[in-house]
Amino acid sequence: MNPLQMDASHAVESRLESKHTNHSRLSHGGQRLEPILKTENVWKIYRTGKVDVPALRGVDVEIMPGEFVSIMGPSGCGKSTMLHVMGGLAQATRGKVLLDGNDLTTMTDAARTVLRRHKVGFVFQRFNLLPTLDAYHNIALAQHIRADGFDPHRFEVVANLLGIGGRLKHKPSEMSGGEQQRVAIARAIVSEPKIVLADEPTGNLDTRSSEAVLNLLASLNKDLGQTIVMITHNPEAAAYGHRVLHMRDGLVVDGATVH
Amino acid sequence: MISQNVLHRPLRTFITVLAVAVEVTLVIIVVGLTSGLMFESAKRTEGVGADIMVQPPSASIYMQFSGAPMPIAIAGKLSQLQYVQAVAPVLIQFNSVNGLEIVYGIDPETFRAVSGGFVFHDGHDLQNPNDILVDDVYAKSKKVKLGQTLHVLEHDFHVAGVVEHGKGARLFVLMPTLQEMSGAHDKASVFYIKNDRSDRTAAVVDEVRELLPRYEIRPLKDFISLMTSSTLPGLNAFINVMIGIAVAIGFLVIFLSMYTTIIERTREIGVLKSLGASKGYIVRIVMSETVLLCLAGVAGGIGLTYLMRAIFVRIFPTLTILITPGWIGRALVIAVVGGLLGASYPAWLASRKDPVEALSYE
Repeated sequence: MNPLQMDASHAVESRLESKHTNHSRLSHGGQRLEPILKTENVWKIYRTGKVDVPALRGVDVEIMPGEFVSIMGPSGCGKSTMLHVMGGLAQATRGKVLLDGNDLTTMTDAARTVLRRHKVGFVFQRFNLLPTLDAYHNIALAQHIRADGFDPHRFEVVANLLGIGGRLKHKPSEMSGGEQQRVAIARAIVSEPKIVLADEPTGNLDTRSSEAVLNLLASLNKDLGQTIVMITHNPEAAAYGHRVLHMRDGLVVDGATVH
Repeated sequence: MISQNVLHRPLRTFITVLAVAVEVTLVIIVVGLTSGLMFESAKRTEGVGADIMVQPPSASIYMQFSGAPMPIAIAGKLSQLQYVQAVAPVLIQFNSVNGLEIVYGIDPETFRAVSGGFVFHDGHDLQNPNDILVDDVYAKSKKVKLGQTLHVLEHDFHVAGVVEHGKGARLFVLMPTLQEMSGAHDKASVFYIKNDRSDRTAAVVDEVRELLPRYEIRPLKDFISLMTSSTLPGLNAFINVMIGIAVAIGFLVIFLSMYTTIIERTREIGVLKSLGASKGYIVRIVMSETVLLCLAGVAGGIGLTYLMRAIFVRIFPTLTILITPGWIGRALVIAVVGGLLGASYPAWLASRKDPVEALSYE
């Protein structure tokens, strides 16, 4: 069993345990499971000229390890801002963001960068692959930035898992949207992040490709125990998650905590 | 990723590399031209074959800038010094018609005694007052033929011979003629002294110093080392200004190129930041691309320099452009440092981009 599979089995076991105990947040050893991500009264206020515009207005959310959580809400309700704050791309104005036990709100920009490098994988609506690089180098880039050496075994497993082994020499402009998103997902998970934050990953895809990508994310969650938080406008896509958070006007109005 | 990024916009890359190449070429050619002219001039002065050169007090080593204030009778006194084998007085005039050249007014006999005589490609030595000798380089570049009339210093000369280059000047006339033309009767610009043995130069220098205190007395073996840009007033400043212009070209082009690159790649920078790339990582990428562009520019610049030299020398055969490894190295450093300075602000700008804003950049 390779390390990927071992991690996966452990995470899946934990997740199943969690479900079997009716979300009691206790592992089978009786230890209390801690959220991989937790926000406490998080505010994010943007300043436009002399006007303060609150994008988040006191968000409290818990994400448990191995969960697949969907976030829904109308445009402008703060979904993307919340994802950025959760992943340390943006700093919360007030409140606490705990990622794997680290409080992002008290960290410097450099420290958040290091944390993001090791614990967070992002997937974007527009794929955001580097156009000058082929798929292989787009994926390897994440490992390169992590600077702990290229892991060919992990790379191969991920590439095969995502079914892009035959497209590695192709540049983004030579691939379909679905293929590009699979490469983007591979880039996000190749460094074994604790959590994958996906911002409308199917927003630019047709129905068939969307379904393939969603199945892939579900499979990563199920088979590898990958914690995933996904923003979507589509209720059918949201249904792939274990739990759906509903946001409105910068607040989570439903599904914020594990029951 | 660095090379891929550089190749992504081939036209921009080409223009940037070309600008750096022009910068490098400008530096090497300007320095090579000035030092080449001085080096060539010094080599010709050395080629006279003398051991010592005597000039009037405070005279420049650039003999064309000195007048003719020394009585020619000094030659007689110098000839009587111990160890002195021959003394050749030379009157020097600066000719600016049809190019910049110096004309030596010589006494054929004493000049031959010091220099060992001309090697004639064609014709014969100076015999008549209006005779002129031209060296082979001058003859080739100006298409001068034996027997033709050559208008020099507002005077018509008869080309009596074509000689091997390297004996002080490219044009030689009889001293009395030049004295008459320039109103410098019984005057000379320089005395070339030939010793009976070359290892007695120091002793002869001491003797001449005693005879002619305050005169400029220079052993010819040190002459080339004296012919540097620092000895010619204003030349260093000129070279520095030209280098400054070259650096400014490189700096501005790299700045503009990298700045537009950063603006164009804003979203990519956001992606890199989302992957956890530090500010240092992004600065390194920008700087690495800059170094790559500069090195390509330097390589192109070196090639362009040799091409320019070949063209210059073909058009102006009397020109000497000295390309030295030292100045190629300096041009490399100047180009890379200038490029890095030009890229520093764009790199800083890139490293400080807000990742969220960068990711939403259209």
